[in-house]
Parts: sequence; C-alpha cells; structure tokens
Amino acid sequence: MGAASSRLEKALGEQFPEGERYFGLENFGNTCYCNSVLQALYFCVPFREQLLEYYANNKSTGDVEDNMLTCLADLFSQISNQKKKTGVIAPKRFIQRLKKQNEIFRSYMHQDAHEFLNFLLNELVDILEKESKVDAEPCENSSLKKNSNGAVNVQLNGTKKEPVPTLVHRCFQGILTNETRCLRCETVTDRDETFFDLSLDIEQNSSITSCLKNFSSTETLNAEDKFFCDKCCSLQEAQKRMKIKKPPNILVIHLKRFKYIEQLGRYKKLSYRVVFPLELKLINTVDNSDLEYSLFAVLVHVGSGPNHGHYISLVKSHNHWLFFDDENVEMTDESMVQTFFGSAQEFSGNTDNGYILFYESLAEKS
Amino acid sequence: MAAANSSASAAGAGGSAAAAGLKTYFKTPEGRYKLQYEKTHSAAVLHYNHGGKTVSQLTVAYLKEKPAGQGSTPSTPSSSSGMRSAAARLLGSGNGNRTLSFVGGNGVSRAVSGSSRIGGGLGTSGGIGSSQAVANYDGKGTYIIFNAADTLFISDLNSQDKDPIKSIHFSNSNPLCHAFDPEAKEGHDLIIGMGSGDVYSMSLRQQLQDPGRKPVAAQHYNKGDKDGTSTGRHILIFTFHLVIRPFFLSSWHKCNRCTSVAWVPEREGIFVVSHSDGNLYVYDKCKDGNTECTFPAIKDPAQLMISHAKSSKSNPIARWHVCQGSINAISFSPDGAYLATVGRDGYLRVFDFSKEQLIFGGKSYYGALLCCTWSSDGKYLLTGGEDDLVQVWSMDDRKIVAWGEGHNSWVSGVSFDSYWSPPNSDGTGENTVYRFGSVGQDTQLLLWDLALDEIAVPLRHPSSGSPTFSSGSPSAHWDNACLPTGVLQPSPRMRDVPKLSPLVAHRVHVDPLSGLVFTNESILTICREGLIKIWVRPDQNENNQQSNSSELVLGNPVSKDRVITSSNKATGSSFKQSSAVVFT
Repeated sequence: MGAASSRLEKALGEQFPEGERYFGLENFGNTCYCNSVLQALYFCVPFREQLLEYYANNKSTGDVEDNMLTCLADLFSQISNQKKKTGVIAPKRFIQRLKKQNEIFRSYMHQDAHEFLNFLLNELVDILEKESKVDAEPCENSSLKKNSNGAVNVQLNGTKKEPVPTLVHRCFQGILTNETRCLRCETVTDRDETFFDLSLDIEQNSSITSCLKNFSSTETLNAEDKFFCDKCCSLQEAQKRMKIKKPPNILVIHLKRFKYIEQLGRYKKLSYRVVFPLELKLINTVDNSDLEYSLFAVLVHVGSGPNHGHYISLVKSHNHWLFFDDENVEMTDESMVQTFFGSAQEFSGNTDNGYILFYESLAEKS
Repeated sequence: MAAANSSASAAGAGGSAAAAGLKTYFKTPEGRYKLQYEKTHSAAVLHYNHGGKTVSQLTVAYLKEKPAGQGSTPSTPSSSSGMRSAAARLLGSGNGNRTLSFVGGNGVSRAVSGSSRIGGGLGTSGGIGSSQAVANYDGKGTYIIFNAADTLFISDLNSQDKDPIKSIHFSNSNPLCHAFDPEAKEGHDLIIGMGSGDVYSMSLRQQLQDPGRKPVAAQHYNKGDKDGTSTGRHILIFTFHLVIRPFFLSSWHKCNRCTSVAWVPEREGIFVVSHSDGNLYVYDKCKDGNTECTFPAIKDPAQLMISHAKSSKSNPIARWHVCQGSINAISFSPDGAYLATVGRDGYLRVFDFSKEQLIFGGKSYYGALLCCTWSSDGKYLLTGGEDDLVQVWSMDDRKIVAWGEGHNSWVSGVSFDSYWSPPNSDGTGENTVYRFGSVGQDTQLLLWDLALDEIAVPLRHPSSGSPTFSSGSPSAHWDNACLPTGVLQPSPRMRDVPKLSPLVAHRVHVDPLSGLVFTNESILTICREGLIKIWVRPDQNENNQQSNSSELVLGNPVSKDRVITSSNKATGSSFKQSSAVVFT
C-alpha cells in the first residue's frame, strides 16, 4: 500500500494538484460496491464541496446523532484533511452506519453499486429535508418520515414531489417530462418526474447516445396498455415519450447490465459493448439545450454475473485519470476508459464493464 | 487438412459462424450489393500483441505494371527460389479453400466473373490453377493491406482465397496504420505507422516477392529520438534488424502511437504521420531515416506550432504540433494542396499544406472525431466521431453543411464513392451528386446521397422539400459569406444543421467496424478484429442474367422511392437467419 501510494505521488510529481488527496478505501468484506461509489462521489467536486461546507456549518452543534449524512461528511472531511497526499483510509464508521440503517447492506454478500448509490442519495435527501423542516418550523413536531423509495422505481429513481432543494438536489436532480399524446383528441398531457440518475436499457454494440435516444423514443400505448385520456374520459390509444425538461448539473447514467432472464429464472449480466464519449450532450431535451457534459467518473463492474464480482472506479481529477480499487490508487490514462466499454461478442471474456457513468455539466463550471 | 485450416481462420475472423444472422446482401435503389467473399487472417498467425488492443485498418493498393528495366527488384538466385516456395505455399492452402468456398458460396462466387478487370494481368479471378500466376508479382494487381496484433497482412483482392498471401511480422511493436502510394515512381510505396511511434517504408512488390515473415528492405524512421539506435538504411539492406530500445515504456508508447499515415499526393516521396500526442511529422523518403533531429519544446499544447528540421538531409523534415490530445486521422485533398486532421479535441482542421496555414476548422457536436476523408473533387469533406454523426463540410463555404444521423454508435470510417454515378437524370429533378458511405462501431454500413443543390444553392430548388433533409432548416443561414481564414468554429447547435438520413443501413459484421473502401466493383468493409467483407456492386446486366428472377425488380433503378431506413434499430434487429452463406 505504502509503496503504491508513494508510486502515485511519484507519478504525479510536480503535477500533484494543490490541496487534493487521493486515498484508497479499505474493504471490509465485499464493500467494494460502497468504496467505488464513495470515490466517485468524493471526486464529484460540487457535491464534495457542498457536503464539506454543510459539515463545517453543522459540526458546532455537536449534539446530532450519527446518520448517513454525518458519517459521509465525516469521511469526506477526514480524507480532505489528511496530512499525507496519498494513503489508505478505513471508512469504518460509514460502513457500520450503513449496515445499521439498511438490512440489505448488512450481509457480506455482493451488493449492487447502483442500488447503494440510490439508497444513499435518497437517505441524504431525507435527512437534509427533515433538518430543514426542523429549522424552519421548530414548533411543529411532525416527523414526516417519508418512505425511502430507493430501489423501488426501476425506470426512474424518482424522488418526492415539490422537494426542498437540498445539496443532493442541486447536484443530481433533473426533471423528466412524460409527454403523452392521445391519438383520438390529440391532446398532449405532460407529467413531470424528478430523477437523480437515468437508468438506460442497453443494446449490443451501441453508444450511450443511442441508448439515450431509445430512452426518449416514442412508444405507442395500445391494446392492453391504453392511456386514460382526461379529455376523452376513456381509455385511448396514445403515443408516449420521455424527454429531459431540466438537465441535472451532475448527470448520472446507470447502464442496465443486470437483466432478469425469464427462462433462466435469474439475473444475467450483459457485457455488451456500449461506448461512452468523454464529452456528451443530451439529445433528448425538451428545448434542445445543447448543454455539454464531461465524464469525470466511471464505476466498473468486474465479473461475469450479478451475484459476485468486484467494483472499481475510474475518476478524473484535475485533468488526471485515477484508478481506485479499494485500497489501491493508481495513476492512469484517459485511454483506459475505453477498455471498459464491454465486449462486442457475448463470450469473448471481457467482463470489466462500465456500469455507472458520472458526467458533470460544463456550463456549471464556467 | 484443409478443413482444419479453414476452421482456424474462421476463429481468427472473430467468429464467422456467429455471423449466420447477417444477411449476405443489401438493397439500394440501384440494386443489390452482394457479399462476394471474405478475407481475414488466421488466428494462428498472430503471435503477439505488443501491448494494447489493436484495431485493424484497411488499405487497398493498386500495384501498377512494373516499368521495364527498373532495378529495385532482387534478381539474385536465392530470392527467386524464395518466390517459388511462396508459390508452393499458396497453392497448398489455396486449393483447400477454393473447394470449400465453392461448396458454400451459393451463387455468390458467380459474381466473381464481373471482377476480372483489375486482376486481369494476374489472372486471379478464381480459375483453378491460376495460383501459379499469382506468384508473378511483377505484374499489376490489387492488394488489400490490413493489420492485426503484431502483423501486417497482404491479400490479393481479386482472389477468392480467404487467407492472406503474405504476412509481415513485426517483432517490437504493432503496426497500426498504413498507406500505399500508387504513383510512386521508384523505391518505397508502402508506409506503416507503428504503436511505438516508429514508421517503416518499404516496397510492396518486394514484400510480395519475398517468402519470409519479416519486412524486406525496409526503411525505419524514428523521428530522430536521441537514443534511437535505428539500423534503417535506405533500400540497401535486405535483412531487417531488430531495433532494441530499452526506453520502450508503456506510457511513452501510448502517447506517441502512430494514428494515421498518408502520402502527399503530387509530391513524390513526401509522407505525413500523425501521432496520439497531437503531433504530425512530415518525412521525405529520399532522405535518411536515422538522424539526430530535435524539435523545440511545445510551450502551449493547445496551440498550433510548426517547426522545421535544421538539417536539410534528415528526417523528419518538419513537425506540426496540431492539437491537445491525439490526432485520430489525417487525409489529403486529392490534389495534395490541403491536409485535414481530426482529433480527440473534436475539431476538424483543414490546412494549406505547402503554406502551412490553417484554412478553417470546426467542431463535432460533442466528443472526439475519429475519421475524415475528401470528395474526389476536393470540394467536400466527411468526418465521423463519437457523437454518432457523419458531418459533411464544404470547402468553399468553410463550414459544416449537414449532419448525417443514422449510426447507433461511434462512426469509425467515412468515404466518398468516387466510382458511383447518379442514375441518368431524366428531368425528374433528382440531382444527387455525391454518394458516400460510413461505417460504425454499431457494426453497420450506411450509404448516403448528398443532394447538394438543396443545401448549397437552395434557390435553384425553391420548394423541393427533399425527404433527406429535416424540414424547416433555415436555408438563409447557409447563405452567408465565407468565414475568414484560420478560424476554428465551435460546435453548432443541433437545430442549426440540416440533417441527412441514410439511403441504406445494413448490419454487415458481427464486430464493430473500423473502415471502408470503395473500389470500382465493390465496397470493402473491415471490422476491428480484421475480418474483411467484399460487397460487389449491383450488376448492371443483372436483368439479362437468368440467375435470380426475384432480383429483377430490385435491379431496376427505383430512383424516386428511396429506401430510407429511418429506424436503424428495426433493421438491425430484424435480420433473420436466411440462407446463410458459409464462408470458410
């Protein structure tokens, strides 16, 4: 470890970014799903900065009970305040809290990184919203415990309606609009939904652009699946499509690589080759915003099946690409990203596949 | 024995068996393109991959009749015996394959008869016993040059043999890109760019005449690295020496990789090599390959910087630092006046090559650009890249004129079909001037028609409402004056660029594609793994043949009803296992 971290320092040399810390995270038995997500979130700079700011402002009160938010903020602050530039940290408190909080993550089984990210973001929102409520109306003792809906919605990892914009919302929230056009009266009904990430169906030898296009392609509702038109007051055939109304600042794209195969009665991993560019624009926005995003983190699932394997993450920090594999941190090259696109043919062995992609809006930066 | 051979080569092709779901023809308004045959390397030939996965690229070389009395061919007894053994080898594997391809090639092999034009001098168009003639590499011929792992392969385009007739093995790095100069008057006509950043030049004919697996009489260029211990000597050496350079570190290796090579048209002996570090080097094959030559440090990697070698004898003769990040491809205008580059930064740049001046540049919608090419009249450029689009640029207007939408993944190869002529204009207003093709990582080949009148001179066709363009494209926007020289334009907005739809979209391979080439008789497609498919053009006389009456209708030029495949998804997935032709 020590050797590895000093190697990283040597590799970066003079170019080591001022004030930046690169720390590996210890694995407590199949917690790589957690470590890889934490690294991606840590290097999501607007999120990290806002979380650290929150931590600094709320630490003084001191009486708050541990929760996922304080544990995460504490971990981030621990990393950023390290004297050394590189090394290894044990995210013990965070993992303990996670296991206490949610029984799914209690076992030593392999977990799904996307499920964990979903759970974590929704949990943070719950805590932040509760706190802001307490701050705003300290007299009212309504503990609006909202059902944490992580992993409930498969298509959209939706959050609640009319949310108080928390730091999680400011970073990750986007709005999708579901346009449904009744084929009888031609009335278009818009229904908005918020999202923290987009889960995309994937196809062999395709691109993220193409997956996004399919996500927004027009779908006809007919036969068993008709649409209830308010104007016609009856079930009608309709056309439906999903577009992005408000693009998020941080665009998280989840590739649906784990697919339930009915014949097999179990989930199967799709190692399809899905290419993703280092810069991306959303082609499926309502107003053709032409907003440009830049890739800054890739979560990679390593392994052939959904129930075992490993997670690693590739992260871009200060224009350098770094490779995080639990304790290990190594300097790498932009070109390494393309080794995680997947395999062009089903049985050709490459099982290290990009699973969750993190893009940041370039408009936000300038 | 033959069966064993062929199964090995099937495996090397990245699973031809798995290609059973692919159709062996596709329809266009002018008729059917049919899969004529396949070419690939045998997996067993691939020894070693010098770090990193390679992507196969394709060059078609038209070797002219050897001018009488040219003395570059070895005429020693030893090398002529070498020629005999090469012929013997070819005969052995060739027979086996030929038998098999007749078994499986139902009807397709018949099309070969139309392809004897180029191979005429060699007599290689499929007749039994013609292999004898193949060994005579003094004549003219058309060859396919392609790379895979550490080897460069040469196949005879007009022979049905799936296996290459020659493989050249490189012991220290992978060949990644290559170019052939059909106009070379003497000396070397084939250049090869390596993963190490080194470059080799050689004579194609000499390689064909030599039975060995090493390049013969190759010239080695190493950009004048100070520690380079190159042994390359011009034309004089016949044995190839290993170049051992202990500083072949992988990081160095990565950032100096050759990405594209090109001969400068109309400039005998001058060639250009682009690299993944944003540099391109200009070489003169008549100068030494191994000299001490240093160029000044690049101060700002984002700025264009052109430096010339101090010595007039050395190679490279110039270095152009073009952009930050990799230059992914380069292409010269047919007259050699202009050089186009595309790169990681998403920009197309067009330079006046002799004046060393940027004429104009423009950006992809997003992501890197991966390929570029010119129309044969030098008026238009095509680029393709990571935004899944094919961009059409006008040299006159110095800007983008259209976006082709139709690929479901990155566009890896673009080419104009300079052999194609529009169906006879019978006054219907059909005024398609350019045909081009593109291939992508979505395994598809797309063909497009570019109806220029409708973009460039919209007034001539006031209300034609072409189906190939999105309605409501602001034509006035495209009438404005030419931009000043040397300006890099930012990405245009989606709504500002007229869109093209493909004429045909066809899934041609199992693996992602890396390139395409048009020849007089066919379209050649190559996938990243090194399988080449040759799609023969619709037969003009198809109607007169008794072969397949169901094709008659398709053979007619149905010019007005364009086969526009708006949903490629549907075509891609709708291929059924239909009378699969087994190529072995």
